[in-house]
Amino acid sequence: MKIFRSHILVCGGTGCHSSGSAEVIKAFAFEVEKRELKDEVQIVETGCNGFCALGPIVVVYPEGIIYMQVAPEDAAEIIEEHILKGRPVERLLYREPVTEEVIPYMNDIPFFGLQELRVLHNRGLIDAERIDEYIARDGYQGAAKALLEMTPEGIIEEVKKSGLRGRGGGGFPTGMKWQFASQSMGEVKYVLCNADEGDPGAFMDRSVLEADPHAVLEGMLIAAKAIGAHQGYIYCRAEYPLAVHRLNIAINQAREYGLLGDDIFGSGFSFDLEVYQGAGAFVCGEETALMASIEGRRGMPRPRPPFPAHQGLWRRPTVLNNVESYANIPQIIVQGGDWYASIGTETSKGTKVFALTGDVNNIGLVEVPMGTTIGTIIFDIGGGIPKGKRFKAAQLGGPSGGCIPVQHLNTPTDYEAITQIGAIMGSGGLIVMDEDTCMVDVARFFMDFCQDESCGKCVPCRVGTKKMLDILTDICEGRGKEGDIELLEEMAAVIKDSALCGLGQTAPNPVLSTIRYFRDEYEAHIRDKRCPASVCSALFTSPCQNTCPVEMDVPAYIALIRANRLDDAYKVLLKTNPFPSICGRVCDHQCQGKCRRGQLDEPIAIKHLKRYITDNASRPTVESIPVTRRERIAVVGGGPAGLTAARDLARRGYSVTVFEELPHLGGMLRYGIPEYRLPRAVLEREIDDIRALGVQFRTNTRVGKDIPFKDIRKEYAALYLAVGAHQSQRLRIDGEDLKGVYGGVEFLRQINLGNGAEVGKRVAVVGGGNSAIDAARSALRKGAQEVVLLYRRTRQDMPAQSDEVAAAEHEGVTIHFLVAPLEVIGVKGRVVGVRCQRMRLGAFDASGRRRPEPIEGSEFVLDVDMVIAAIGQVPDVSFLPKDIPVTKWNTIEVKGNGNGRTQTPAEGIFAGGDAVTGPATVIWAIAAGKEAADEIDAAIRQRNDEPPFQRPEEERIDIPQVIDEEVQEQPQARMLELEGSERVGSFAEVELGYTEEEALRESLRCLRCDMEL
Amino acid sequence: MSNTVTVTIDGREVKAHKGETILELATRLGIHIPTLCYHPRLPLAGACRVCVVEVERARALVASCVFPIEQEGMVIKTNTERVLAARRMAVELLLASGDHNCLLCESNGHCELQDLVYELKIERPRFPAESPGHSIDDSNPMIFRDLNKCILCGRCVRACNEVQVNQVIDFGYRGGRTKIVTAEDRSYAESTCVFCGECVQVCPVGALVENKARFAGRPWAIKKVPTTCTYCGTGCTIDLNIVDGTVVKITGNEDGVTNQGSLCVKGRFGYEFIHHPDRLATPLIKENGQFREATWDEALDLTAEKLGQIKADHGPDTIGGLSSARCTNEENYLMQKFMRAVIGTNNVDHCARL
Repeated sequence: MKIFRSHILVCGGTGCHSSGSAEVIKAFAFEVEKRELKDEVQIVETGCNGFCALGPIVVVYPEGIIYMQVAPEDAAEIIEEHILKGRPVERLLYREPVTEEVIPYMNDIPFFGLQELRVLHNRGLIDAERIDEYIARDGYQGAAKALLEMTPEGIIEEVKKSGLRGRGGGGFPTGMKWQFASQSMGEVKYVLCNADEGDPGAFMDRSVLEADPHAVLEGMLIAAKAIGAHQGYIYCRAEYPLAVHRLNIAINQAREYGLLGDDIFGSGFSFDLEVYQGAGAFVCGEETALMASIEGRRGMPRPRPPFPAHQGLWRRPTVLNNVESYANIPQIIVQGGDWYASIGTETSKGTKVFALTGDVNNIGLVEVPMGTTIGTIIFDIGGGIPKGKRFKAAQLGGPSGGCIPVQHLNTPTDYEAITQIGAIMGSGGLIVMDEDTCMVDVARFFMDFCQDESCGKCVPCRVGTKKMLDILTDICEGRGKEGDIELLEEMAAVIKDSALCGLGQTAPNPVLSTIRYFRDEYEAHIRDKRCPASVCSALFTSPCQNTCPVEMDVPAYIALIRANRLDDAYKVLLKTNPFPSICGRVCDHQCQGKCRRGQLDEPIAIKHLKRYITDNASRPTVESIPVTRRERIAVVGGGPAGLTAARDLARRGYSVTVFEELPHLGGMLRYGIPEYRLPRAVLEREIDDIRALGVQFRTNTRVGKDIPFKDIRKEYAALYLAVGAHQSQRLRIDGEDLKGVYGGVEFLRQINLGNGAEVGKRVAVVGGGNSAIDAARSALRKGAQEVVLLYRRTRQDMPAQSDEVAAAEHEGVTIHFLVAPLEVIGVKGRVVGVRCQRMRLGAFDASGRRRPEPIEGSEFVLDVDMVIAAIGQVPDVSFLPKDIPVTKWNTIEVKGNGNGRTQTPAEGIFAGGDAVTGPATVIWAIAAGKEAADEIDAAIRQRNDEPPFQRPEEERIDIPQVIDEEVQEQPQARMLELEGSERVGSFAEVELGYTEEEALRESLRCLRCDMEL
Repeated sequence: MSNTVTVTIDGREVKAHKGETILELATRLGIHIPTLCYHPRLPLAGACRVCVVEVERARALVASCVFPIEQEGMVIKTNTERVLAARRMAVELLLASGDHNCLLCESNGHCELQDLVYELKIERPRFPAESPGHSIDDSNPMIFRDLNKCILCGRCVRACNEVQVNQVIDFGYRGGRTKIVTAEDRSYAESTCVFCGECVQVCPVGALVENKARFAGRPWAIKKVPTTCTYCGTGCTIDLNIVDGTVVKITGNEDGVTNQGSLCVKGRFGYEFIHHPDRLATPLIKENGQFREATWDEALDLTAEKLGQIKADHGPDTIGGLSSARCTNEENYLMQKFMRAVIGTNNVDHCARL
């Protein structure tokens, strides 16, 4: 045998093939030829390497260095630099998506390192079209052992001992199945392989067949010996041409070598095989339908019993297993059942191959020990969710399976555990879905698939799935009605119970599991005609508008910027939002996360454009509104929720008084958000507009102290409690009461009150939210020499907006991740340090983030003279009388949906904003205020027997319907910011706003999802 | 090995034959299980799921028509809420998947779907009905095919392929678009169909009906008279379907010993001669080159007289008897007996021997 200095392994799986690996192989061959390296370097086309997302994949041995996305023109550089000069080509190496670390060696990449290869142990290593390479890796040793040294009973015993269960999805113990068939009477028996892989998103079997076809042949040969069969068929879908091609090569080579045919190994045992191509019916994956298809009949299932082990193909005893099951067999025979059963869980042994796909960074093929958690597969091997999106659910088991939501990420891959949470192991298709997925739409998709693939034989499947699809389509298109969910559940239960075969019996699973975990999403579609994920396009005009809690008409005002009609644009803003200048600066702009332009390059800078309008439009004078109603309304709390409610109620003719404990209005806008993000003049301007309507303000008045609660209750027809969440949560550690320890909001409030808060030289801020960042950046501006932020999780887990985090780091804040404080150390009552502990990530919590766990012995002390605890806020509800209940989180309790979302159990008293939800965002507070105004007004009118409020006709603003034919990639227009040096010690606004040219350029990027063509 | 097992069905402990189906056992015990795709003469399908029952320890409901009783101690329940819910849903779904408007249907009053809707007490449709929109096959005078009324029970397919072995029709397409098709989805006239009408005979609804019998009479107005088919010596038992003294169609008699309901194209569809105006209804006697109507007595007397005279004048062997394949065995027997014993000749023959 010839020895080569280097092997260049190019992946030739279907994935890499379609990204151009054939050309890459040619290019390498050309380069090797040109440099006369033919005797030193061998180029091998292998089967699927697994890392399909970044193909074409090239691995260079003996080093084991892996290159990603290799183009034909890279071949010369790899040969020149790596092979000849020993310098790996860095630009083609793997880069960890989060840390950006370059990892040259294949096995150091978590995607590979965390896998356990048994079924795939030859993947990417051998040329699948050469039987010698399979034999060199101990191939056909299991068959030799089985045929020459073992009895059929012995083989079955070994397979039973291994605990192997059917990998096609049923999970039936393989050894038992073989035993039944072996005990069945009859001269003629058959061994069949199910390679009719048809689940959307599944490609496990294809990869095995392409990478290691002999493993399947060998497994079938061993099965044949075990049951006494002499003929086998591989039922492979015709859509897998490469798999069929390689299988046929493998069969011919095996025949040539005497490994198929008569008297194999001189044992006297004969067995032969052929490939039968399926015509692409999903139902032919069902065993009785598959057999009907091989017999030349229409692929329709028949009721069992009789089971195939007794009456299968042509009514003869038959064993049918899936590709992956067979590929496991040779090693079970060589290494023993006990070896196989040494990994896995109690009832699920060995490994499982998953086709990892969907919204996940490392799309590809993975093999892990049974018992590995779903979270590990998605986040460690899969590298998490692309573009920093949140994980929503993973579909396991394809159209027969169910979804696994965030709270079940710790579920082990174990047949029983997965069934318990409403999914099935299935054949191993694992489709990851991010926050932009609508679960009703997912259910609709899979139901569409099932009804389309139903063979039409039995009524529950043929008609039932169609009717379920109709209901789901109605829900997605806004025609859903009350009772639909219950009807779906009823139909699902009956179809599961009464359909003829597995296809029908499992078809309702995606519906049931999405209802189980995402019932609220169904309800949003049916009751509110809303698709929260902005997928069901019949229910909204544009994703941005749909995502905005107050449904701002984003495409309209962007179109008006483009038309340079800023005054009209400003009017559009005011229609839904009383604080557009504020939101143009501090809104968390969830709309941008859903912007479709983001799928092309970057989302539209909606927030910046909004600010551009408010900075540049002429502001119309606000006229006061005459009081036309006799009911007076009190609003407690002058933050965004309270002010919005006051504005909307005043506009309906009510006399409204806002009570505010602090000297100025604005709530968190003034006392929480620092001035460098929201200049006070901007805030004042918008509050003044509300004052101008005629709303009365009583500042420096704490309800319950300066004015008794019962007095207000008596005087006013309705009360709106919007007191926010202005108390920091305590750290609950020793030393918290030392001088120099502040709560985050209290610290910010002191600064914003202008009371000259005392800031230490070395400040530790604890927390990872926006308040923590605000506190850290404010501390720096107030003269701290060093600010350290301690966060117990990792960067991607931070609730703070990433651009805020980046700004803080830019200004000099140091962030320590995976660190939690244990104790504040004091000397003479003053802070001198904080004792910390390092954390590591453990299992997933209900939010889908890994729970931090302390590392023993990792404690260390940071020398600081000030500690700011910004780990969360709670409302101060001490002023409330007893009849207004609070929740266990100290928030004000409101009734559920039926009676409106803002009414407290006490008559005439409403509540909203952070005081109800806990700390949220400005825009949610505005939304809460609007909702409260609606409900307060409605309640009063109902009490008076008046008709509901009619919204006055709004001024019609004509929106230009102009779109560009061609869209060219172009990133977001960046906003100019204050230099880092200018920020120190100054609370001047950091973001400087768009110029006219920038705003116009940015507005041109809008795809106008609102327009119908 | 014993051939019986003890099982419990609806709380009764009974002996069952090993291998018989749950439906067979229930029928024997007088327990009613509704069926739809099941037909006693056809191979089993288990497709419609109307006959489902609960079997303890089974993962899902099972179709009683195909499920064999093998296990000692099996516990079967045929009438639980769970079973009824499944049956009702199956029928409701069928009702919603075609043009099932009984007022406009030839099979009104003779429809197993209609009977099931009533039996399962379905008062109003819960799902919007949707017609599949198939075109109507009126291509031939024998079989009228409206697949919009088809419930895809597959009886016709089994009857065509496995009883008559004509292999003209099968399931085609998939999912909600599934329909019964001939090769290349052509009309019956353009197919290899021989119009035996077996499919019509087993169709439980109004999808396949005798074309000439459409609008000829409602089932409740029809009187069925069993008789023997007159076309050949096979002796198939047929039912004359009679409305007001007129035969409007012929159906196979399922109790017929020789045919068990099956017929050929002549026996099923060739009945128009019965009321044909050219058909002789009274005996005729030719006098002076002209036929005149006569009574039976008159005609028989004349025949007897002439035969007697020929025999006396020329001897019995100058007379021969030829009988028809359309006569019954009994009639043929009588014919040869008459020739031999009364006439005294062996000149006897039969048209089917030619």
